Amino acid sequence: MKSKVICLLLLLVGSVASFAQEGHPLAGTWYGDWGPTPTHRNQITVVMSWDGKNVGGIINPGPDVVNLKVATLDSTKWTVHFEADGKDDKGQPVHFVADGKLDNIGSYNRTITGSWNHGTVKGDFKLRRDD
Amino acid sequence: MRNRLLFIFAGLVLTLAALPGASFAQGRGRGQPPAPARPAPRWPDGRPNFGPIAGELGVWLPGNARFADPDEAPRGRGGNAAAFPGFAPDARAPQKLKVSEVPWQPWARGVYDYRLQNQFEPHTRCKPSGGAREFFTPYGVEFVDMPELKRMFIMDIGGPHTYRVIFMDGREHPKDLEPSYYGHSVGHWEGDTLVLDTVGFNEKFWMDREGSPHTEKLHFIERFTRLDMNSMKYEITIDDPGAYTKTWNTGSVLRWSAGQELFEYVCQDNNHAPELMLGNEKSVDRSSVIIP
Repeated sequence: MKSKVICLLLLLVGSVASFAQEGHPLAGTWYGDWGPTPTHRNQITVVMSWDGKNVGGIINPGPDVVNLKVATLDSTKWTVHFEADGKDDKGQPVHFVADGKLDNIGSYNRTITGSWNHGTVKGDFKLRRDD
Repeated sequence: MRNRLLFIFAGLVLTLAALPGASFAQGRGRGQPPAPARPAPRWPDGRPNFGPIAGELGVWLPGNARFADPDEAPRGRGGNAAAFPGFAPDARAPQKLKVSEVPWQPWARGVYDYRLQNQFEPHTRCKPSGGAREFFTPYGVEFVDMPELKRMFIMDIGGPHTYRVIFMDGREHPKDLEPSYYGHSVGHWEGDTLVLDTVGFNEKFWMDREGSPHTEKLHFIERFTRLDMNSMKYEITIDDPGAYTKTWNTGSVLRWSAGQELFEYVCQDNNHAPELMLGNEKSVDRSSVIIP
């Protein structure tokens, strides 16, 4: 059963990822990790879309999905800013803020690297867009 | 020995230049204008014929491929000659905007500027070229008119064996189209002008050679008018609220290349070593003979 759910999830993510490759630079499915230290990491999947005016998106599709509250791109510096409301390890609501830099823009597998925080907790993240 | 070879070479050059049909001379530089082109051909029912006259061959080659002229270029129809070396501007071409006049959304202008320096285009990786990019590839395209089927086909030689279907039967675009490289095209005649309306594009290609970005919201209106045997006016309206703040226009004049016809061209898709063809992801060496 678990494998079926994973397959279904992969198919869903794959169908989204098959679009939006040369359009808006943030659109697509991004994989990576985040964490407070180089050794304490968490896998992350971010799916973003562009409706012509705003970037929307979700983090970790599935039962614990988190909606991106803010996602902006500054194309003069290729910097990005994200905000989302999630939960910490204890299930308490937290407001995440992340800022990053978009690199290798011409590639399907462009990347975003940056830092995040919620309150006094800080760390870094790296995302790579799927082909 | 060396002087003798030079003498023979000089003789050959002079002989070729003196040939009346020397194609590279084209009547220019000798004080004589080129011969006027024959009128645009028509089918027996009067419709314009976008192909060759029966018994002849020919395909359409690109004119000035830029969607917008560089800001520093002089304003004029057909753009600047430097944009397409060896091909002079055509006064019959649609007026083009300057790059700074294109109604870019900020991200689209950023991507365009980036691509000017990083031309790692899907077309060079054997991906199909949708939209106007189809007409700005080497080797040319051919319009195949099949009125008995109420369809036209646009065959692209330089792409990876691709063709576009134009439905001429009055149908509308389907709802919930699956995005694709060529989208869904319907066409009709307005006098001698073929008008195509296309939606349903995916975002996996560049719609022009320079790298103007687009989104799945792209709606393309193309108008083709055969001006004479050798020229096709190509007017383009770009409607993409995902990448531009308003609709804008561009165009070109396609050139007839007589004596050519469709040939087999195989471009290898799924190439996992594009740097071997192109150099690297930072630049594309378009001088390579294997770049499509």
